[in-house]
Amino acid sequence: MSAEKRIKELGLALPPPWKDRDNRVRALTSGQHVYMSGHGPLDPESKPLVVGKLGRELTTEQGNAAARLAGLAVLGTLRGHIGSLDRVVRVVRVLGFVNCAPGYNTPSLVMHGFSDLMIQVFGADIGRHTRSSIGIAELYADMPVEVEALFEIRG
Amino acid sequence: MSAERRLRELGLVLPPPRKDRDNRVRMLRSGNTVYMSGQSGPLDAEGRPLMVGKLGRELSAQQGAEAARHTALDCLGTLKGQIGDLDRVVQVVRQLGFFNCTPEFGDLPAAMDGFTDLMVAVFGERGRSTRSCIGVAELQAGVPVEIEAQFEIRD
Repeated sequence: MSAEKRIKELGLALPPPWKDRDNRVRALTSGQHVYMSGHGPLDPESKPLVVGKLGRELTTEQGNAAARLAGLAVLGTLRGHIGSLDRVVRVVRVLGFVNCAPGYNTPSLVMHGFSDLMIQVFGADIGRHTRSSIGIAELYADMPVEVEALFEIRG
Repeated sequence: MSAERRLRELGLVLPPPRKDRDNRVRMLRSGNTVYMSGQSGPLDAEGRPLMVGKLGRELSAQQGAEAARHTALDCLGTLKGQIGDLDRVVQVVRQLGFFNCTPEFGDLPAAMDGFTDLMVAVFGERGRSTRSCIGVAELQAGVPVEIEAQFEIRD
């Protein structure tokens, strides 16, 4: 089934693509690859939808939900950049930054929120990807998670 | 306008390329993509820090941006050393900035602009790149920033 059809069937509403601001670019194509800047759970005005650190203000479930929101933001920008998500051949690489209080050591469980969304939308063959998840000290506006992703696309 | 010409017009002087040390490689090419190792900064020609401290404690976002700009020049010095001519750059593809900051410092994008804006000043439209910036707990020698970059080049 196509990714666009799955999105409809799942009833997912993708947010509008993040707009470039000054020299801050959200997505670009190089060869067969689309590189995405780090995306997090922000509204179209760049206001955080969730704030706080894992292990302090937020639970793993809340972090997981925030990572899913980051995933929806990535897909919204990607669709705006390439026109249709059906052009995605493979989700190649994902790098997740999780805003953690010292001692919080399950950033992978947070990042499952992003990865599971990719598999729901693209199916396992296209959606399964390589990934690293790390706990870091701070993110823009104290959002809990930021995700960078790389997609392979067809012409 | 060519990148080499812009460099001259801006009066920018690139530092000498950073040398590989033992198994620590500064950059490599795979296909048409050049991957750069994390360049920390600001460092002098001998690799000694010119500025140390954390953003949000000893250093401001503005000082972080200056450090990031210095790091960008370092990165271009290394790149030019290996590819010979910066006009071979087709596109700056990806930037990943690590900032040494306090757990409360949220203005990472402003600090990262020091790197991002220099790339656009030198490469113009080809310098507009995707990026992520994160706050980390510590960097080598206490410097405020380390940045990893990726370029698409032609022969």
